[in-house]
Amino acid sequence: MIKMSAFAASTAMVILGGAVPALAQDVAAATKEGAVSIYTATDISQAETLVKAFEAKYPGIEVKYNDLGTNGTYNRAISEYAAGQVGADIIWTSGMDQELKLYNDGLLQEYKSTQLKDLPDWAAYQNTVYASTIEPVGMMYNTIAFPDGKGIPKTRAELLTLLQSDQRVKGKVATFDPEKSGAGFLFATNEARTSPDSFWAVSKAFGASNGKTYSSSGAMKESVISGENAFAYNIIGSYAIDWAKANKTLGVAFFSDNNAAFSRLIAIANGAPHPEAAKLFIDFALSKEGQESLAAKGLPSVRSDTSTGMNAKNLADAIGGPVTPIKVDEGLLEYMGQTKRVKFMNDWRAALGK
Amino acid sequence: MADHIPAGKMPAFVAQRQDAALTRGAIIGALFLIVMMPVGLIIYQSLLSEAFFYKSAKLALDAYAFILTDPAFYEALYTTVIIAAGMVAVAVPLGGVLAFLLTRTDIRFKRALEILVLVPMFISSIVLGFGYTVAVGPTGAVSLAVRHVIGFVPWNIYSLPGIIVIAGLSHVPHVYLYVSATMRNLPSDLEEAARTTGAGLLRVLTDVTLPMVLPGMIFAAALLLLLGLEMFGLPLVLGDPNGILVLTTYIYKLTTLFGVPTYQLMAVVAVLLVLITLPLIWVQRRLLRNARRYAALGGKGNRATPLNLGRRGQILALGAIALWLVISVVLPIGGIILRAFVDAWGEGIDLTQHFTLAHFKALADVPSLYHGIINTILIGVFGGIAAVFLYLVIGLAGHRNQGFSGTLLDYTVLLPRALPGLVVGLAFFWVFLFVPALHAVRTTLISIFIAYAVVGLSYGLRLIQANLMQIAPELEEAARTTGATALRTWRDVVIPLTRPGLAGAWALIMIIFIREYATGVYLMSSGTEVIGSLMVSLLQTGAMDIIAALAFVSIILTALGLFLALKLGARINE
Amino acid sequence: MSDLIVENVQKWLGGLQILKGCSFVANRGSIVALLGASGSGKTTLLRAMAGLGHPEIGRIVIGGQTVLDSDRGIIVPPEKRNIGLVFQSYALWPHRTVRENVGYGLKLRGVNRTDTARRVQETLEHIGLGHLADRYPDQLSGGQQQRVAICRALVYEPKVLLLDEPLSNLDAKLREEARYWIRKLILDLGLCAVLVTHDQSEALAAADQIILLKDGRIVQSGAPHSIYSEPTNFFTADFLGANNILKGVLRDQEGTAMIEGEGWRLPATIRDAEGVANGSNVRAVVRVEEISVFDDPQEEGIELDLVDNVYLGDKWEYRLERGSFKARAHGPRRLEAGRVWAQIPPQNVWLFQDTAAS
Repeated sequence: MIKMSAFAASTAMVILGGAVPALAQDVAAATKEGAVSIYTATDISQAETLVKAFEAKYPGIEVKYNDLGTNGTYNRAISEYAAGQVGADIIWTSGMDQELKLYNDGLLQEYKSTQLKDLPDWAAYQNTVYASTIEPVGMMYNTIAFPDGKGIPKTRAELLTLLQSDQRVKGKVATFDPEKSGAGFLFATNEARTSPDSFWAVSKAFGASNGKTYSSSGAMKESVISGENAFAYNIIGSYAIDWAKANKTLGVAFFSDNNAAFSRLIAIANGAPHPEAAKLFIDFALSKEGQESLAAKGLPSVRSDTSTGMNAKNLADAIGGPVTPIKVDEGLLEYMGQTKRVKFMNDWRAALGK
Repeated sequence: MADHIPAGKMPAFVAQRQDAALTRGAIIGALFLIVMMPVGLIIYQSLLSEAFFYKSAKLALDAYAFILTDPAFYEALYTTVIIAAGMVAVAVPLGGVLAFLLTRTDIRFKRALEILVLVPMFISSIVLGFGYTVAVGPTGAVSLAVRHVIGFVPWNIYSLPGIIVIAGLSHVPHVYLYVSATMRNLPSDLEEAARTTGAGLLRVLTDVTLPMVLPGMIFAAALLLLLGLEMFGLPLVLGDPNGILVLTTYIYKLTTLFGVPTYQLMAVVAVLLVLITLPLIWVQRRLLRNARRYAALGGKGNRATPLNLGRRGQILALGAIALWLVISVVLPIGGIILRAFVDAWGEGIDLTQHFTLAHFKALADVPSLYHGIINTILIGVFGGIAAVFLYLVIGLAGHRNQGFSGTLLDYTVLLPRALPGLVVGLAFFWVFLFVPALHAVRTTLISIFIAYAVVGLSYGLRLIQANLMQIAPELEEAARTTGATALRTWRDVVIPLTRPGLAGAWALIMIIFIREYATGVYLMSSGTEVIGSLMVSLLQTGAMDIIAALAFVSIILTALGLFLALKLGARINE
Repeated sequence: MSDLIVENVQKWLGGLQILKGCSFVANRGSIVALLGASGSGKTTLLRAMAGLGHPEIGRIVIGGQTVLDSDRGIIVPPEKRNIGLVFQSYALWPHRTVRENVGYGLKLRGVNRTDTARRVQETLEHIGLGHLADRYPDQLSGGQQQRVAICRALVYEPKVLLLDEPLSNLDAKLREEARYWIRKLILDLGLCAVLVTHDQSEALAAADQIILLKDGRIVQSGAPHSIYSEPTNFFTADFLGANNILKGVLRDQEGTAMIEGEGWRLPATIRDAEGVANGSNVRAVVRVEEISVFDDPQEEGIELDLVDNVYLGDKWEYRLERGSFKARAHGPRRLEAGRVWAQIPPQNVWLFQDTAAS
């Protein structure tokens, strides 16, 4: 019931707020296509509200949701494109670098979203690729090991001290594995680029205290909730906020000085079988209504005008520290070059003492 | 009129007749093609500089150079070998003892135990991994209880020894199956003779029984070595936290190492894995042939009279088996069940406060999840039927086939088994994508079924062949001399006589399809999800709640399949 | 023209030659027995005729149709040879009734349903199994199964009926009865039959011609009577009947052949087809029934010691000795141990070269 009224309210607001509504003939063309196929790395449980809202708004367009993971999404996109058998209309992935690579290789289709003017500058790239979320990188801790979050670092310097000297995290600290996870790699390289000194010092301390690396945030969450690990950093903070609501034993924290945030990038595939429906979906996903349905599932909105969950404007307040989104531009491709990538991996292993 | 033509020399070339040569050739040729498409693609891909579908891809050995100079590869190879060898060291002695107890002694509850001890074999290794994490992981329910009593947790399942012990214990049934088959055929007078001269039970086992069943043990060891090399699910789950990589998970990791999938590198590892395992399979098959011969020697007439365990022996033996079953079945399955019904677990958590059915509600609500369950059942039930039919056709083509196509079949069957399921699945994805004739089935369950059927080929075919071999050759020869062609004989005699065994084979293949996980990862699309691959897929984001619920469903389905298999009188061998 | 011609059939198995050139012919209305010990190649030869095993060399013609010719590369599959084969295990199809088992060959030959039913019933009646037509094989006794197997093989009137040890799975009493009716049935129907057996009495009683095989070779062939009483080699003489083997040296005494052993000598007949040289080592084969034993001196009798009596039920067996001479003989009553006299007609003391000793 609550959900329903939220929808009704937000729909009303879209109209009142003067967002550009889809033209009648576009909707007709899209409805004629009958479906929109999405290749994505976002769990259906988090996209469920968005998908249902879209289907409710545009009856007759079925959303075919393919949760493939980042590599699965990329793999399928390039393979199908090469075979001339493109099956994706929308490619929506948290592998930001991969999405940019797809753009560079000509696999994405330009489309100027009707929502463009409501998006921050950094969130749109070449009228093709759009950031659909802004998800801060953060820390998780076990509340039994750290009652009330006492002792959880507020700055990178404190993080280093914690790893170096706190017995509670000795052998019980976890982080995202940049070798096995695309997101982990993104967070690590972003950190290494923006604050190299602290990143490598922290990594060394992490290795020294026998830290464990995980290839998924879910597995890491499981380990922190169960007490197997006391603390985890460089994790997807927006997930953690959601999880912490359901579990008393899980706490979330962010730095007070600066937090990186990544985005799920969305774009239309070149050769999409349902291009009109795809345009409609992108516009909806970036619209106030679509953004609110994502925010309702813990994926903060890139817009500033949403009233459900977190958004670009209130995020800093909500997590207690400023947020610097990872820019959607060529900079993401820096580490796609093999030499640079391999060097980073080697440095990483060396820092961990492997 | 004594005929004294001198013994001639065997002519160098002799016209030979192959029954139904054309049919056999066509079937085996088609199979060869189906298997070689993905396998050939992988080999071809391994020799290219980048993905085969890029125009800029060139023939190059760079990928081999990279892998063969990558320290991580050797580390993974080393770990793989250690795990495989460790698994053999754990499972072979235990399986041998188990077989001895169940075939040669008067142990109680024998009928029930004979079925119970096979159960670990049917649990998917990825389910095992999750189950153990929850039960005996660092903060698992059992671990916490133990720590409560003795102050610390005396084990670590995320370590190499942890993985080895778990893998070893779960593979005991494989050894049991082969060794018990040999043991059953041993005449018991040898053991009785030893007993009457005053040897104790243990001495009889080591001095008399063991040497006699050595061929069976060696065969089981070779099989386990092979399974160890191909293992994916357990190291994927248990090896993650400490970064323990085996070859199959190393392949998985290669995708992220360069940000974009490096197919040529994955292909190289797959090819290297084939190069390691193929000789092993070859040796194993030779061993099997010898083991069969060995078993046939003993088999006549001599009914085994069981050795008397005595009261203490009974308690000891039953206790040991119960302990093993608790460790390898109750713990992981209990873990999964527990995790499926709570939303938090571990230190300081009162599980009763966290009971929930939300995960199962998600299964009913989320399309991809309930599709996954329905599809898994569809693939298991109907895919199983189709697979039995296919394997039967292939089995007939190879049945008493002395010709070239028979040899070709033998090796064709081995290839997909030597490749990791993940890679086979990826290759099939490409085949369906790049062969225009197959476009229509690409996004249907049929594509997943075909890949499953190929991956399950060697196991399924063996099930069918076991049935075919049960038919006395005279029954077929009688049809031939009565005037039936080879094909007609298959139709009128062979197939009707195998039919009762096919039902059991179907149930077992169904289980194999239900628990399969790696093959479908790249193949499934919206609407064609399957449970196993969903679990692997969900593992990427780590939606443990859902994974546990899916694993629970998978266990239920497997149990149903097993129940059905037993009801239908399946012959569980291998 | 002969119904069955087998010519120079040779077969190898894994480098070992198991048929070394066998030839024979057989005709309609007669039974040929392939007799031999296990490993003699008799079953291999039968399977070659049936098309179930393929000899590397040779020619086989069945009813005028060349079914095997190694020179011309002809191998006709079993179903096109128009033969009937009765297996040692009977090989009845367990999933079919007696009627279906027997009628299968007719069905394959496109005989219509009514005719099939009639002929199956007739054949079954002929062997007295008409009332069992609807049973399954496992509901029949061994003897009944064997009859059904024979019915199944001959209902479609094959050119040649092949029988592989058809009696060996029957108990002794049934066997004698069966070999009689099988012979009668085949002769009644005027078939050409080949019977494989290791049992000489079966071959002698049932066949018109016996082919004795040893190590993949035919050692002698002929009518039962001739092969039993006119062996041309030691193997044949020894294989058939119950025999005494005496070892000695050939002494030609004024045209009469004598075998001389340690402390004994006997007049004898040279049977060896290849002849025996004077003074060479020989073996004598003497059928047990050819020795008559008396407890009083006999003319032309040889003096022996009776060591022991063995009671056999219908007769007594005497154990006789003198030096290296050791023999068995039969008589109607028990004799006192000690000196006895035996009569052994010279034409029944068959001499063969002792290849092992020389």
